[in-house]
Amino acid sequence: MIKLLAGWRLSTRMVVPSLLLLLALQVIGLAVIRGGVDANARKQLAERLAVSERIWTRLLEQRAVKLGQGAALLAADYGLRSAVGSGDEETIHSALDNHGARIDAGLTALLDTQFAVRTVAHGDEPSLRAATSVLGTLAPQLAKQGSAVAMVGDRPYQFVMVPVRAPLLIGWVAMGFDLGRGPIDDLHAVSGLHGVLVALANDAPARVLQTSLAAPLAADVLARAQNAPPALAKDGDAALAETSLGGAPYLLRSVAVSQNAQGHVQLLLAGSIDEAVSPYRALQWTLALLTLLGVALFGIGSAWTAGHVTRPLRALVQASMRLGRGEYDAPIAHTAERGEVGDLARAFDHMRLNIATQQQEIRQLAYWDRLTGLPNRVQFRDAVLAAVQAGESANLAVIMLDLDRFKHVNDVLGYASGDRLLQGVAERLRSVVRDGDTIARLSGDEFALLLPQADAALARDVAVRITAAFERPLQLDDHTIDLSAGLGIALWPAHGPDGDTLLSRAEVAMYAAKRRTAGAQMYDASLDSASAQNLSLLTELRTAVEENQLRLFLQPKVDVASGALCGAEALVRWQHPTRGLVPPMEFIPFAEQTGFIRQLTLWMFAEVARRQSALAAMGVARVAINLSTRDLLDTELPDKLDALLLRHGATASRLCLEITESAIMDDPERAEATLQRLAERGFKLSIDDFGTGYSSLAYLKRLPVHELKIDKSFVMAMERDASDAKIVRSTIDLAHALGLTVVAEGVENASILTQLQTLGCDDAQGYHFAKPLAFDAFGAWVAKHAERHAVTA
Amino acid sequence: VSQHALLLRRRDLLAAGAGASLLPSLATAAPSPIDVRITDAAGKPISGAVVFLDSPQAREQVRPLAGIEVAQAERRFVRPVSVVTVGTAVTFPNLDTVRHHVYSFSPIKRFEIKLYVGTPAEPVVFEQPGIAVLGCNIHDQMAAWIVVVATPWFGRSDDAGRWTAADVPPGRYTLRAWHAGMAVGAAPIEQALTVEAAGARAVVTMPSLKS
Repeated sequence: MIKLLAGWRLSTRMVVPSLLLLLALQVIGLAVIRGGVDANARKQLAERLAVSERIWTRLLEQRAVKLGQGAALLAADYGLRSAVGSGDEETIHSALDNHGARIDAGLTALLDTQFAVRTVAHGDEPSLRAATSVLGTLAPQLAKQGSAVAMVGDRPYQFVMVPVRAPLLIGWVAMGFDLGRGPIDDLHAVSGLHGVLVALANDAPARVLQTSLAAPLAADVLARAQNAPPALAKDGDAALAETSLGGAPYLLRSVAVSQNAQGHVQLLLAGSIDEAVSPYRALQWTLALLTLLGVALFGIGSAWTAGHVTRPLRALVQASMRLGRGEYDAPIAHTAERGEVGDLARAFDHMRLNIATQQQEIRQLAYWDRLTGLPNRVQFRDAVLAAVQAGESANLAVIMLDLDRFKHVNDVLGYASGDRLLQGVAERLRSVVRDGDTIARLSGDEFALLLPQADAALARDVAVRITAAFERPLQLDDHTIDLSAGLGIALWPAHGPDGDTLLSRAEVAMYAAKRRTAGAQMYDASLDSASAQNLSLLTELRTAVEENQLRLFLQPKVDVASGALCGAEALVRWQHPTRGLVPPMEFIPFAEQTGFIRQLTLWMFAEVARRQSALAAMGVARVAINLSTRDLLDTELPDKLDALLLRHGATASRLCLEITESAIMDDPERAEATLQRLAERGFKLSIDDFGTGYSSLAYLKRLPVHELKIDKSFVMAMERDASDAKIVRSTIDLAHALGLTVVAEGVENASILTQLQTLGCDDAQGYHFAKPLAFDAFGAWVAKHAERHAVTA
Repeated sequence: VSQHALLLRRRDLLAAGAGASLLPSLATAAPSPIDVRITDAAGKPISGAVVFLDSPQAREQVRPLAGIEVAQAERRFVRPVSVVTVGTAVTFPNLDTVRHHVYSFSPIKRFEIKLYVGTPAEPVVFEQPGIAVLGCNIHDQMAAWIVVVATPWFGRSDDAGRWTAADVPPGRYTLRAWHAGMAVGAAPIEQALTVEAAGARAVVTMPSLKS
């Protein structure tokens, strides 16, 4: 049962089993009572039947006494006695006749002392004969009992017999009386039970003699008496039997009224069981009604109690569902209650408050930057998405900015200073925005601003103000730190239809700005490697490699001291079939962004290696090839270069690999490892654009480089700016001190060359000697230069 | 009660004495002693049984008795059983204050003395031997027997069940015995008895009696 109830409500589980138990108890009780009532009613009926039998016997006895008195009167008659004594048969007969008629006897007889019938009077002939026969056998019994019932012909007679004395016994007077309906009716009147007197003769069909029952029922009784004679006809005994009379149950008691060789006379007493039980039935119905009422009251009561218990539980279920939906504001009900439910409610409320607090903390962690107190990337993205979605303003702008050199600050001054720097930046950003603008810290050194209701002009204005705010250096203890950042601007709806696109475009613009160190950069599709224009460019570049549209250009390097050709820098040019010669600025940055730069590098390397012997023949001792950041991070690069050298029979020592300072600084450890492996192969390594980055000479010292290449911005400014000249000078001095050779780029005129000569620079390259030239043109230039040099020398 | 008992005894003696006083004068031979014992089937002695010896000689020698009364007192017959010889006249004096109506339907003597007080004028003479049963029509419980014998040798068994006679002449007799306790209407028990000169002995066994 418990298992069955497992899925039910608590209240049902409380109410139903006890209700069922109660019901079962009541039903059992009713059944027991019913059984008891039935048994008791039957017992009482049986007793009434027994009493009825005694009444019957008594009635017969009373009758016998009365009849016996009549007979005694006759027996005492002097005339009769005289006649008997003198054997006067005629007188005897008339005396019997006379007395019999006087007391209404059916027949009267005189028997001698040996019970032989002497005379029978007062009856018709057949009955006289029958009476003679019956009396002959009945007399001894009559002499003892005084009275008896016997069948005479087809009628039951009650006989009495008294002695005739004169004064000694001289005979017997016997009188027989038709039994009639009297005793049966009297019995019914006194006991309320019915009697059926039946004759079961040996030589005649059984039949009903007298009855107080309706004829059909009496017939049933007769059938019963015939069919079950053993139970009913025990000698002188009464037997009980239950039977159905006319479909209703009756209890029968059989009384042997007479018995002789000719057959039996029996009285069957019948009592209706239904009548006996009926007084109790009403009681039982009342009891059943009370039971139902009790069960109903109990059910209502326990349902109410169970409801009282489960109502707070249901309230708690509702409350926990609210908690599940994240509604923590509504306090839990029933916390004031005592007992287990109250405890549970209080525990729930405690849980609600804790969860609410934790939720708040999680939300804080999830949506806020703890360091600056600004919204984080998630929240910023949500804000942008919400702003775009809501379409509240006709346009809006996102500015994303990335601090320059932040990693450097972290490395040099420690994370605590880095954190303070970030807090300072946040502070400055706050100072420039309008109310309603959102500032967020997206990641390490990346910040972003959301400017609602902002067009391009306003966004540019904010970007300018940010730049201006960054111009004032930040003071961290003893350190003064210059702030600068790359700013990318993206506008909605101009630059992206949705929030995520807008963010990624602002990022693209930001990286472009950083590459160009241009301060602020508005998004443009050309910046975006993922834009449709750039995708087609990438396809075209692949085609360019496959269809040999690329051209190797060389720019000569000249020994500053002697003016002799000492080497060349290899550069790539794109001979586009329709656009003509595409300048490097239009595809190299793009190739770097997309990674295609690695194919370009390998193409260049192969091209140079292929022509190494030819170039050597021209007097070009070494050719320099540029490696990009991506090349440097490719750990397989040294093996790829090995393969190319082998294929073209080239020598590593006749090749110089130029790496930009920033390329190394992106991932110094990996860069160092790669450089080490390249140096082991005999390549000469050169740091390109030296002076633009932040690498320290101390760090460079650890690298296996042989050469520094001073950025052309310094070299070109040398003439006008003394400080730039000083930078160049100190760089050359330092490089030499470290055992490195120095190459100056951007040598545009003789005066710069002269200055470099003065400073002791080793090699120079620039328009003063030659611009990058196609291979054939380069060959021609070399020949001409050799002539000129030979003349000069 | 003691008075009646005495009375009964006296009358018994009287009757016996009457018989005895007659015998010597009639006897032709020397009388012989007779000793009869009356017992029941179990051998228990029966007292009060009427015993008599019949024979043609005895019939010849019998004489009526005189002065025999069957009195009624206290609504009873004073002597329930009386033995008389044939021809004896019996009177029925009523000693009670109530009337009695004595009757007999017995074949040896039918009579009735209707509602009388005191001694009826006419005595009843019993001519035939046999047993007459007497009743009172007013008092059913009253009963008496008169045994009429045709012999001078009769008597009653004593408490030891014995009847003895000293003066019975030898000869062949029929010994008869009767008792009031025997069945109604039953005849006396009889058996042959030859009396020798030395006398005779006999044992009569009676059927079970009513108490």
